[in-house]
Amino acid sequence: MTLRNDSKATLGRFLALVTGLIFLGGCGGSSSSSSSTSTPAASNTAAVTVGFGPLGAAGGIVNGIYTSVTVCAPGTSNCETVDNVLVDTGSAGLRILNSALTTVPASSLRTITDSSGDQLQECVQYGDTSYSWGPMLVADVELAGEKASSVPIQVIGDNSFAVPSQCLATPVNPSLPNGGNEDTEASLGANGILGVGAFGYPLDCGSYCTSSSDLTQSGYPYYVCPAGQVCSATTVPVQDQATNPVAAFSSADNNGVLVTLPSIPALGAANGTVSGSLIFGIGTQTNNALASSATVYALDEYGNLPAFTYNGVSYTSPTNFSVLDTGSGALLFLDANTLASSGISECADASGFYCPTNTVPFTVTVSGAINTSETGTMTFNIMNADTLFNTNNAAFNDLGGDSGTSPANDFFDIGLPFFFGRSVYVGMMPGVFTGETAAPSAATSATYGYYAF
Amino acid sequence: MLSLGTVPAWAVLGQYESSVSVDQQYLRSEDRVQAFQAYKVHQLTTANGTIVREYISPQGLVFGVTWQGPFMPNMQQLLGSYVTNLQTASAAQTHVRHLRGLTVKTNDFVFVNGGHMRFWKGSAYVPSLFPSNVSAEVVR
Repeated sequence: MTLRNDSKATLGRFLALVTGLIFLGGCGGSSSSSSSTSTPAASNTAAVTVGFGPLGAAGGIVNGIYTSVTVCAPGTSNCETVDNVLVDTGSAGLRILNSALTTVPASSLRTITDSSGDQLQECVQYGDTSYSWGPMLVADVELAGEKASSVPIQVIGDNSFAVPSQCLATPVNPSLPNGGNEDTEASLGANGILGVGAFGYPLDCGSYCTSSSDLTQSGYPYYVCPAGQVCSATTVPVQDQATNPVAAFSSADNNGVLVTLPSIPALGAANGTVSGSLIFGIGTQTNNALASSATVYALDEYGNLPAFTYNGVSYTSPTNFSVLDTGSGALLFLDANTLASSGISECADASGFYCPTNTVPFTVTVSGAINTSETGTMTFNIMNADTLFNTNNAAFNDLGGDSGTSPANDFFDIGLPFFFGRSVYVGMMPGVFTGETAAPSAATSATYGYYAF
Repeated sequence: MLSLGTVPAWAVLGQYESSVSVDQQYLRSEDRVQAFQAYKVHQLTTANGTIVREYISPQGLVFGVTWQGPFMPNMQQLLGSYVTNLQTASAAQTHVRHLRGLTVKTNDFVFVNGGHMRFWKGSAYVPSLFPSNVSAEVVR
């Protein structure tokens, strides 16, 4: 299927360097810009805050990291700034709640349609089997002083179509708000998700959604919904898929992000007291140089850190994967049985968190994909989660929990607690866009993206 | 545009092995069977590389399933009635978002799912259906 997106500028900067990507759209023409050194440096720092988010303490979600995103009708100055958007280094693409768009409603954004005029819809699934459902629309996106023109974003909840059973492969949870559909502020706990992940190309599906061979797969994300019919899966050219807006910036700051957060006390920090920076670009301005003290860890073909080692045992991707993930509020590390000898036990309420009697310090060796120089240690503490929650604080650097049940299925979701007191670089795979700034020399071999800290 | 209008079916946790051949048909997948002393494993591999393993007890019951691939499998079909266990347990897990994964450990149902866009991996099993002297870690 060929989808139509009526802008010559729409992500015409894509290169066909990723094996398997197929171009069906008639895009091209006016590429946004090249990263000329004569271009004045853009203001590349967006403020972030860590805390309960828009639901407040009553919502009960700790360790959320939020920023503001400006969404504009493409090619106009008709813009709206949406606050409380979750910053997520574990996904790609911008997703905004329909309810958060008021002065620039979804109807003012550009549609992406097939030859029958049916709009492209997306169903995105999350690890707990919840999902978000809504149309893909084209917007200009602004973050701090950075601008990305004609970026496909998902507007969550802006349709009246039943969620396809193929996507709703996961169970609707009747006890969650709206049954597991993350399409309201109450269910998502944010006004949107800004996916700035490193893994692979800056797209949410890439080559898996350009080939008809995957259309029957359970969990497939893209659909069209002809009138009077059930929604059906459709292929989508890469330029119409949800895209990390950073990759589409017209400035040179388009090769990754740097997240910096202050140190916080072991018992946590109160809501509204922790602020930091989401800095765009790596090695493109004086404020985002890749620190000489930082180690680069190239990701593997799955978008995972290839290996981590704890207590003499090596855990390797894809069996035991690990990701650096601001979208997760805890360090989900191995499991309580495996860590029993280290003093870890689960909380009595079966919440999935760790409640050790005393704080347990961990040192984990992490390995990148390229060579032995990509090895370093990661240190963190795990404190009793019940003790932490009882403080009523909103930001914690030592909150941990089960990732699995045994080394057969454990993983390491290195969530927001790790990011406090650090500068963490999340670098995208080089060579996807024209005009894309190359990765710093230490990371140019990171074919699938990289982390550095 | 190709539209089959059907959702691939998978063997159902806690039910009989006969569903595996139906799965293979729907998935148009390769079915490789490995026999061990106390159980056997059907490994279904689809064209896009999604792998589903179904662990069968000597009584012919699916006591465990695993998955890995670019998209998440159909939990409703994969887990059958155990979906209720998943729903109950996930609703109790508050305080943080679970965008990347979820772990459920109860006496009669264990579920682990984790990953991110284009990479999902997980397993589920029913301890009471395990053949004797078989460790939970074989389901991997």
